[in-house]
Amino acid sequence: MNLAHKNTLNWIMVTFVLFIVLLLAGMFMRIIQANMFSSAQSWFYPMMTLHGVGMAGLWWVASIACASRVLSRYTAPSECVSRFALYGTVLGVLFLLASVFLGQFAAGWYFLYPLPFKGGWPTWATLSFLLSITILGATWLVWILDLLRSIAKKYTIGQALGWHYILGKTGPDVPPAVLITAVSLIAGVACLLSGVVVLLFFYYEMLTGVANDALLMKNLTFLFGHLLVNLSLYLAVAAVYDVFPSYTGRPWPSNKIVAISWNSVLVIVLLAYFHHLYMDFVQPTYFQYVGQIASYMSSIPAAVVTVFGAIALVYRAPVRWSLGFTLMFFGLMGWGIGGIGAVIDSTIAVNSKLHNTLWVPAHFHTYMIEGLVLMVLGYFYHYCQEKTKLQENLYFQKIIAALILVGGYGFLLMFYLSGAHSIPRRFAVYPADLSSGAQLSGIALIFISIFLLGLVLYIYETGRRWVKSLDV
Amino acid sequence: MKKFSAMIATLFVLIMSGGAIGANSGENSFQLKCAACHSIGGGDQIGPDLMGVTKRRDPNWLSQWIIHPDKMLNEKDPIAMELLKKYNQVPMPNLGVTEAEARDLIDYIAAQSETQKKDSAVPAQQTTQEPPSAGVFFGGLKGVQLTALVVFFVLSTIVVFVFWQIAKSTRQPVPTIDMKSAYKLRKWFFFGTAVLVFGTLIATLPKTPYPDDFQTPDRLVYVAAKQFGFSFSSEPITSASDAGQSTIINSLELPQGALIEFRVTSLDVNHGFALYDADHSIIAQTQAMPGYTNRLRVRFPKPGTYQILCLEYCGLAHHLMHAAVTVR
Repeated sequence: MNLAHKNTLNWIMVTFVLFIVLLLAGMFMRIIQANMFSSAQSWFYPMMTLHGVGMAGLWWVASIACASRVLSRYTAPSECVSRFALYGTVLGVLFLLASVFLGQFAAGWYFLYPLPFKGGWPTWATLSFLLSITILGATWLVWILDLLRSIAKKYTIGQALGWHYILGKTGPDVPPAVLITAVSLIAGVACLLSGVVVLLFFYYEMLTGVANDALLMKNLTFLFGHLLVNLSLYLAVAAVYDVFPSYTGRPWPSNKIVAISWNSVLVIVLLAYFHHLYMDFVQPTYFQYVGQIASYMSSIPAAVVTVFGAIALVYRAPVRWSLGFTLMFFGLMGWGIGGIGAVIDSTIAVNSKLHNTLWVPAHFHTYMIEGLVLMVLGYFYHYCQEKTKLQENLYFQKIIAALILVGGYGFLLMFYLSGAHSIPRRFAVYPADLSSGAQLSGIALIFISIFLLGLVLYIYETGRRWVKSLDV
Repeated sequence: MKKFSAMIATLFVLIMSGGAIGANSGENSFQLKCAACHSIGGGDQIGPDLMGVTKRRDPNWLSQWIIHPDKMLNEKDPIAMELLKKYNQVPMPNLGVTEAEARDLIDYIAAQSETQKKDSAVPAQQTTQEPPSAGVFFGGLKGVQLTALVVFFVLSTIVVFVFWQIAKSTRQPVPTIDMKSAYKLRKWFFFGTAVLVFGTLIATLPKTPYPDDFQTPDRLVYVAAKQFGFSFSSEPITSASDAGQSTIINSLELPQGALIEFRVTSLDVNHGFALYDADHSIIAQTQAMPGYTNRLRVRFPKPGTYQILCLEYCGLAHHLMHAAVTVR
C-alpha cells in the first residue's frame, strides 16, 4: 500500500471515529437541554466545548484531507507532511481531551478572552487547552503550507488563482479544484496566523499578568473561527468540483467566471467575519456595514457560479445515484440552505433579534452537517468505492441518504424554530419562560437518532469498502 | 451645655449614618456579588440558600470562605469540597471581597435571615413553570423573528424544489445540454440575485441599532455585568471599585415610551445583555465587554416586566444570569 493511500485511509478512519464521539457529545447537550438527564448538567459546558472545538477541527482536517487527495492528481503534496499532520492532530486532541475530561475546561469552542482565565476550572486545564490549540494550529499551518508549496511548484500564483482566465487567456489549464484550493489555503494561512496571534496574547498574559484588549482579542478570535469554518467548506467544494464530472460525464472546467468568482471569495471571506461583532456597539460602525455587505456579497459567487454550475452539470445528465454522488449533490443543497439562514442572520437589523439565539447554530449546523459533512462523507465513499469497485445496492444507499437528510433537517428545523422563539444558544437549562426550548430539544433528539442511524449505516457501507481497500 | 448637646447629636448622627452606610454597603455588595448565585430565604439557586448561614457556620470559616474561596478549594477544605460536590461542581469564585466587605456581608445576611424568619409565617408565593404550550412550533412568533423565519422557509423551499427537479431530470438523460441557454439563464439568475442582494442591503442598512448622537436619551442606566448577575446604577460603573462606591438600583423601574440608554460594561468576562418582552421575544440586545461600554437605546413599547438574559456564554452558571426591569 502506498503512503498516499494509507494516509487517506487513516484520515477516513479518524473522521469516522471522532464524528461519532463528537456527535454523541452534541446529543448529550440536547438531552440536558431537554431536561432528561439533570444529574449530568455540570458536564454540559465541558461537552459543549469538546463538541465545538472537536467538530470545527475535525471537518477542517477532513476537508484538507480531501483537498490533499484531489491535489495529488495534479501536484505532488508531501505524504510525510500529511502523516505529520495526522500525528499532530491526534496529539492536539489528546491535550484537548485532558483539559475537558480531567480539568472540566469549558470556555466554549472559540474560548473567548478572558473566559479561559476566569471560568473556575484549574489553571492547568486552561494551559492544556491552549497547548492543544497551539499544537493543532502549528501542525495545520505546516500542512497547508506544504499544499501551497506543491501548487507553487507547478503553477505561478497568478495561474493558480486563475488570473490568466480573468485577463482573457485560456491556458494553461488550471483545474477548478486547484484554483479553489489555492484560494482557500491562502486565506487559511491568514486564518491560522490570526489564531497564532490570539494564542501568543493568551500566553503573554499568563506569563506577565498584563491584561489584553478584549475587543482586539474578539476580532482576532472571530477572524480565526469564521475563516476556519468557511474555508473547510470551500475545500470540500473543491473536491466536489473534481469528482462531479466523473459522475455526469460532462466537464466542469475553469473559466473567467469561475476565476472571478473564487478570487472575489478570497476578499469577501476575509471581511465577512465582522458580522460576528454586530452586537459590540463600540466596534467602528463602518466595520459593521462592511460585515453585512461582505456577507451578502458572498452569496453571489456561491449561488450564481458554484451551485448554478453544479445544477447545470447534473441537469439531465446520465447520473448513477450512488451514495457518494447523492451525498455530495445534497451537500451542495445544504450549503445553499445554510447560506440563506446565514445571510438572514448577517442582516444587522435582524441580528439584533437573533444574535446568540439558537438561530446561529441552526444556520451553521445546516451548512456543516447537511453541507460540508455530506460533501466530505460523499467524497470518502467515492474514494473507497473507486479503489474497490464493490457492487452497489442503490436502494439501500437511497435509504441511508434519506435517513441522513430527514434526520438532519428535522434536527435543524428545531434549531430554527427555537431561534425564532428567542431561545438562547449555549444554555444548559432554559428558564421557565422559555420552556419551549426544552420541548424542541426533546423533538430534536428523535431526529438526531434518525440521523445517527443513517450515519451508522453509511459507515457500514463505506467501512466495507475501506476494509477491502486495505488490500489495494 | 449647648456644645455638649451638639457633640452628642453629631455623635448620634455619625453612628446612625455609619450604621446605615454599613447596612447599605452590605446590601449593595450582596446584590452585586452574591445575588446572582444565592438567595436569603428564597431557596437554593446556583449556590445554597444563605438564610441562617451565619449561625450554621463558624464565623471565621465563613469570613475566609467569602474572601478566599479559591484558596480553600485548592487546600481541599472539607466543607468547601462538600459544597462543590453538592452544587454541581460549580466553584464559588473569588470576587475580590475585602475583610471589611465580608463583615458587612455577614451582618447583612444575618439581619436578612432574622427578617425572613419573622416573615416565615406568611406562605411564600409558589413559582410554577408554565404548562407546555400547544403552539411550541409557531405559536407566539412575531415581528422580525417571524419575518426571518418566513423568508428562510420560502427561499429554502425554492432551493429544495430546484434541487429536487434537477435530481428528477436525470431520469431522462441527454448527453449534452444547450450551454448557451444555460449561460443565458445564469445571466438572469445573476441579475435576479444581485437585485435581491442590493435591494435588501438598501432596505436594511439604515435600520441598525447603533445609537446616534442626534437624540438625547430621557434616562441613562449604567449596567455592570459580572459572573453571574447584572448591577444597575444611575452612576457610571466602569470598574469593580466603581461598583463598590456607586448606588446600586435593586429594583429597576423605567417609564414606558421614554428613550432609555443602557451603558453596558462587564467587570470580568464577555456577557450579553438581551431584553425580552412579556411574550418572551428579544426586543434589543448588546454585548457587555470588559474595558468597553456599549450604549444600547431602547423605548419600551408596553408596560410590564421585561426579562434580561445574558446571551454571551460566560461560564458554568451562564444560563442562570438574569435580571428584570419593570416598565410603568
